Amino acid sequence: MSGHHQLAGTTLRSRTADAVADGRLRTNVARAVDRFATHRLEGLGELEDPDGLRSAARALKQQVLADLPGLLEQFADQVLARGGHVCWAPTAEDACSYVVDVVRRHGATRVAKSKSMATEEIDLNTALESAGAQVVETDLGEWIIQLADETPSHIIAPALHRDRHQIHDLFVDTVGAEPALGTEPTELVGFARGRLREVFLAAEVGITGANIAVAETGSIVLVTNEGNGRLVTALPPVHVVVLGMERLAADWAQADLLLALLARSATGQRLSSYTNIVTGTRGDGEVDGANELHVVILDNGRSSLLAGEYHEMLACIRCGACLNVCPVYRQVGGHAYGWVYPGPMGSVLTPLLAHDQPEAAELAGASTLCGACMDACPVQIPLQDLLLSLRRRKAQGAGTTERAAWGAWAAAWSDARRYGATTRLATWGRMVAPLAGRLPVGRSWGAGRTVPRPAERRFRDRWREGL
Amino acid sequence: MSRGDRGTEHGDRERFLAPARDLLSGGIHPNPVHVPPPTPLPSDPVPEARYLNLDPHDLVTSFADAVAHAEAVCHVVDEDVPDKLLDRIVAELGERDGTSVVVSAEPEARAVGDRLAARGLGVAPATPATAAAAGLGVTSATAAIAATGSVVLDSRRAGGRVASLLPSVHLCVVPVNRLFATPADVLRRLGSGADALPPSLVVVTGPSRTGDIEQLLTLGAHGPTALHVVLVTDGRGASPPSGPAAV
Repeated sequence: MSGHHQLAGTTLRSRTADAVADGRLRTNVARAVDRFATHRLEGLGELEDPDGLRSAARALKQQVLADLPGLLEQFADQVLARGGHVCWAPTAEDACSYVVDVVRRHGATRVAKSKSMATEEIDLNTALESAGAQVVETDLGEWIIQLADETPSHIIAPALHRDRHQIHDLFVDTVGAEPALGTEPTELVGFARGRLREVFLAAEVGITGANIAVAETGSIVLVTNEGNGRLVTALPPVHVVVLGMERLAADWAQADLLLALLARSATGQRLSSYTNIVTGTRGDGEVDGANELHVVILDNGRSSLLAGEYHEMLACIRCGACLNVCPVYRQVGGHAYGWVYPGPMGSVLTPLLAHDQPEAAELAGASTLCGACMDACPVQIPLQDLLLSLRRRKAQGAGTTERAAWGAWAAAWSDARRYGATTRLATWGRMVAPLAGRLPVGRSWGAGRTVPRPAERRFRDRWREGL
Repeated sequence: MSRGDRGTEHGDRERFLAPARDLLSGGIHPNPVHVPPPTPLPSDPVPEARYLNLDPHDLVTSFADAVAHAEAVCHVVDEDVPDKLLDRIVAELGERDGTSVVVSAEPEARAVGDRLAARGLGVAPATPATAAAAGLGVTSATAAIAATGSVVLDSRRAGGRVASLLPSVHLCVVPVNRLFATPADVLRRLGSGADALPPSLVVVTGPSRTGDIEQLLTLGAHGPTALHVVLVTDGRGASPPSGPAAV
């Protein structure tokens, strides 16, 4: 499978235009996010003072980030003390080459993965496949998009842009399902269960991400509904964890508060079906569990955000709530964002983590700045402030012509007399206004819009004349 | 590598941590618009969630309701698993994949296994091979949680993980003296004592499920399609847990 990153060579405009033109996609996305958003309100509604808890979660994340180096050392020492191996990976390449080494050293060719956004971010599958390993995603949604050669369109429901008929046809086309297979979700899930069970039983290496890493005990918390996070850590003899360096909790009290909010914010459940806490390797007298544990601690641009104006983005617990309430995401779905992280959290993270790609900066524009994202965020990340700040950063890097034009506009409209002069000018230009959309400077703005024609007489003139 | 040996470290810890240390040495830049609450001190307690669906005076009823809310089946019994329930579960097994049974290493599970063997069913200790072929897995739990309807499974106690994972039906027997009110009552104890945590501790809340096809709830994605929780009260009903049990 090829690298997936679609940012290069496409624009936000072209990607959103494709998405908006796809009626089936928009129906699927709107149905999904509406269900998630409703369930989230029900789930949080069962807690006393959920906003107080969200505020406490924001504060505890600040506390974690302020002490991150110390907590990472404590966590790593705990993992090492329990026989686990630790790799410090400053870059995506470092992380991928370590994991490829582990797989090679075991002569492994069959790798089972549980859903992990961090491994999507570093494109680990491509690295493993180039090294000759067969990698199978075991989260159902993630398997579906792997078969379709797509990126996730939602961070917790990667295939929500596809309906049952599309999934049925995909199974028939790619993995030899009988065309007679039904399109009922139970039948499709049953088919996938059978196929993926074989994968779990045969896998030589299991790879997961981590929802939370708890420093005081060196534990990895893996939250799944399907049970793939348990199977991937129970059956293969080797378990590799790719851990974003910011996903730490100092202790179990912090982890408990985050878990109280995580599932409710994501799907509205009180807890997901399986909250799996992995601490060290298989014990004496146990019939399953990995004998070898590797934890890859990944930076990949994260540390550069610490302490600065974007540091709160590192508090994200990847619940997807901001996607489900975003009016932009609802219309275009996840692929329009062009990289692995969509929606408001993606519009902030992508320009910060993929800053080597100039196309990424555009994403700060993929928002109405309505603030619904911060209101939904379980750790109250001020996403709209971060988006606005990213726009400012992008504008500061804009060309001199554009900056001079906006500077002139600002100078004109901050003075009443000059403001009046420009509006008079606009009424004089009434007849030619529609042409503005065809001038080189206004063409991209005017495409798809009807350029408004200024009024024949200005409101201020009519007011002066007694309307 | 045996569990007793220290693991190995790869890459350069100091070089990895240096940029973070450097940036943090100047303090954190707080968001100026939506100003964050003051950062707690390490000595400040982390607030605990309070659950509106929890009746602290009737944990058994709260637990039973929450188990059902999570799409599992709760059976509150005075003593031991009733014959009628075993009959029912066994009858349903025939229609699923396989009638053999695996049991975890826990005494509560072994006892149920013996009764099933006496009915002529094939009962074996759980291993990946036996569990993959079994229709029913029987385990106990180290704790149960009333607010969320969860059972907490300990791989050290159970001798592994697969009994609760591979068969399509999971039967979990838990005595009422291991019933706690909230996840915090279980999770916040995990830090005390270096050996407190087994290699796998899993909080199970309902059967395996997926919403990946049109966000419709579909049970039995990779793990059990059905979960039966038997809470054995010894006639003590709603009494709160007597101690930290095995957690």
